[in-house]
Amino acid sequence: MNNEAREIPGRWNQRKRDIATVLWIAFLAACVGTFVIFAVLDPEALNDAWVLPWEMGSRLAYSLGFLFLFLVSLIAASLTAFMIRTGPPPGHAAGKDAKPPPEIHEPEAENPDLDLGDLK
Amino acid sequence: MTQELGPGTSLYRKEPKIYPRQVSGRFARLRVVAVWVLLGLFYLLPWIQINGKQAMLFDLPARKFYIFGLTFWPQDFIYLALLLITAGLSLFFFTALAGRLWCGFACPQTVWTEVFMWIENRVEGNRSRRMKLDKTPWNLEKILRKSTKQALWILFAAWTGFTFVGFFTPIRELGENVLTLSMGPWETFWMIFYGAATYGNAGFLREQVCKYMCPYARFQGAMFDKDTLIISYDEERGEPRGGRRKTADREELGLGDCIDCTLCVQVCPTGIDIRDGLQYECIACAACIDVCDHVMDKMEYPRGLIRYTTENALKHQGTRVLRPRIFVYGALLLIILGSTLWSMTHRVPLRADLIRDRNALYRELPGGIIENVYTLKITNMDDEAHIYTMRVLNNDAVEVDTSRELQLQAEEVAGISVRLRIPRSEAQGVQALEIELQAQQEPSIRKVFKARALMPTEAGNE
Repeated sequence: MNNEAREIPGRWNQRKRDIATVLWIAFLAACVGTFVIFAVLDPEALNDAWVLPWEMGSRLAYSLGFLFLFLVSLIAASLTAFMIRTGPPPGHAAGKDAKPPPEIHEPEAENPDLDLGDLK
Repeated sequence: MTQELGPGTSLYRKEPKIYPRQVSGRFARLRVVAVWVLLGLFYLLPWIQINGKQAMLFDLPARKFYIFGLTFWPQDFIYLALLLITAGLSLFFFTALAGRLWCGFACPQTVWTEVFMWIENRVEGNRSRRMKLDKTPWNLEKILRKSTKQALWILFAAWTGFTFVGFFTPIRELGENVLTLSMGPWETFWMIFYGAATYGNAGFLREQVCKYMCPYARFQGAMFDKDTLIISYDEERGEPRGGRRKTADREELGLGDCIDCTLCVQVCPTGIDIRDGLQYECIACAACIDVCDHVMDKMEYPRGLIRYTTENALKHQGTRVLRPRIFVYGALLLIILGSTLWSMTHRVPLRADLIRDRNALYRELPGGIIENVYTLKITNMDDEAHIYTMRVLNNDAVEVDTSRELQLQAEEVAGISVRLRIPRSEAQGVQALEIELQAQQEPSIRKVFKARALMPTEAGNE
């Protein structure tokens, strides 16, 4: 029996939870960002600044602005999720599952003839 | 120096503070070269002038980027995107080929940490002295050494912050402003911000950035295969490890080549033991190779017990350098770099657009002439002044009248009123015109663009 079959219906596995959380948080961030940015910035200003080779309607500007912010937030949220998923397990700081730091000693301790010279 | 387990301490040993031992050798020298070249570029570039402009200046208020004598305008932001793609692809390419070269030799975290550690080493002494100094109670010497180190670190970090801001504000002006203490509030803020970031990252966080914070360290494994260059300990040759006299016969003792001096651990900036195998903490700085080679020389054993190798080579299976992923990354990189260079060298430093006057359709002038009014938006993106001529390519009957001579200074942006006059008998309805703008002295600076002219129709006449 594989893991898939053992999942309880209605409960989301880790991957599903991660994807849903990343999408939702990025969406919220993009909403707030779009709202604040276009509250102070007139998309018509983009045309006046003459950066784009075509005249952009304000609906398109709002939409592109939102999509751009959504994309950037998605990248940030996905990377954050990835870093947390692949990072040390819970209890890392408390020393759980940690391999002890490597043993070190004086190089000459067991090698009486080792003359480190300039390395000393 | 073994970490001691004091009485009553927990089962787990404290994560020891890492005191990397200074190391010399081929790769240490290579890193010093990398530090000089990269930091040299960073600290010197803003001071170099090309064609009277700072060699690298991101002039945000004027929205122009000056890079090696080239001027980039907001319209050129495609190059920024291409630059980012190129940087990403290069990282893939070099990672697949040579592993974490970036981490060990080029990453700012490594490069600045190297300088901070050099300062520390000069002021507080070598590894064992630093450990001893940290253990002794505060006395005059400790206060002197620690405060000298901090002062030098802060000075260096401040200079770094200053240089960073110098990429956004002309650095010579900025220098004068700093000397007379008359910087703007935002310049001051960014100088302190960037200086503090340098100090924190290179002075304190160090290997923790690579271990806990760096995304590249986590996903670089995905770009690896069995033919990627890694730094590895030759277990087959080294084990069983153990101390011995130089004259002892290894075979008689039943020992491998590793004399277990633990120097490879002591020089490691991330505090790992390379003999435990490939670990994600390894930033491939090759300090362990340098020190192990040194020890092998002393023992008169062949070098390379720890070396740059590949997983396949370690299994005696032969390494393939040229393999599909190298070709794919390499080809993509070449295509993008090539097309970027081509388009940059073929860039026409002129931008023009004819925008119809929104208030009127057209005007009828005496003599059966119809006049359409426009604003010519024109940018001379060149660093020389030019006079341009404007003509209509696909209709000889159109007369062009500009409100002033089309002369623009270097980098000037202008809006010039333009009237196009067409005899009524020549055309009716919407006219699609092809308009050419060309620099008089330099015919290669030429732009052709489209505009519409409105003419009365017969139907409208009735």
